[in-house]
Amino acid sequence: MTESLDRPLEQQITLLELVDRVLNKGVVLSGDIMLSVADVDLVYVGLRVLLASVGTLERLHEEP
Amino acid sequence: MIHLYAIAEGLGELSAVEGIDGAQVRTRALDGLELVVSEHDGAQLDPTEAAVLAHARVVDALATSSSALLPARFTFPAEAALDSAVRGRLDDLRQGLSRVRGQVELGLRVIGESPDKAAEAPSGRAYMQARLDEVARTERLANELHEPLAALASGSTHSITARPRLLLSAAYLVATADVERFRDQVAELEREHPELTFVCTGPWPAYSFASAAET
Repeated sequence: MTESLDRPLEQQITLLELVDRVLNKGVVLSGDIMLSVADVDLVYVGLRVLLASVGTLERLHEEP
Repeated sequence: MIHLYAIAEGLGELSAVEGIDGAQVRTRALDGLELVVSEHDGAQLDPTEAAVLAHARVVDALATSSSALLPARFTFPAEAALDSAVRGRLDDLRQGLSRVRGQVELGLRVIGESPDKAAEAPSGRAYMQARLDEVARTERLANELHEPLAALASGSTHSITARPRLLLSAAYLVATADVERFRDQVAELEREHPELTFVCTGPWPAYSFASAAET
């Protein structure tokens, strides 16, 4: 995931939005066993670099 | 266990897309709906990055080869529970399918600047006032951006975070024919607000509009 630092903001947000949709949106049928928070962390660990670099880009945007 | 990718209507030939861990993707007809699933050993699938991306790839492929599609969330349905859960919610699911038919989802994130005048306020009272003004201004601006876009959509979900960083995070359900018009509207808002960063994503399968509660 280190190459994500070089990915443009748009690509990073797209990946972030994709993961958010797959894990948090979409139809849930009653009777499903929901993901536990710990399981979701498995994915988010992989995305931590990505999140961090989106934060960096947002800060850069702030500068004139 | 059975992994559910989506509930579909009018599904054509399943394209050669592979499921999670290379599993075969197959359909299962149930009361006029088509459940798209794959079978896996063990009690659950871990939501690793590869698994999440594989799920999304299958849903993408299905979206282009069906007349309506409700993407499923990545969860662990047990085989026996799946059929009865679908039967128990047939009306709901059929309504969902007709809601998303011919529509795609577009995502929008608007990232703002942060003047953060509040930090410079001389007193607690002035700080609070500055902070409240900032929140009100941010909410107003986010609404101004959201409304013309929502007008072009048949459904929308949005959150105005009132955090200056992420001004607006929204999803819009848009008729396939209106996608270009929607993007033009985003471009126009972008021209009107050069101080903001707009990221419009999609078209997505209608993940955010698959559950009735969220429209």
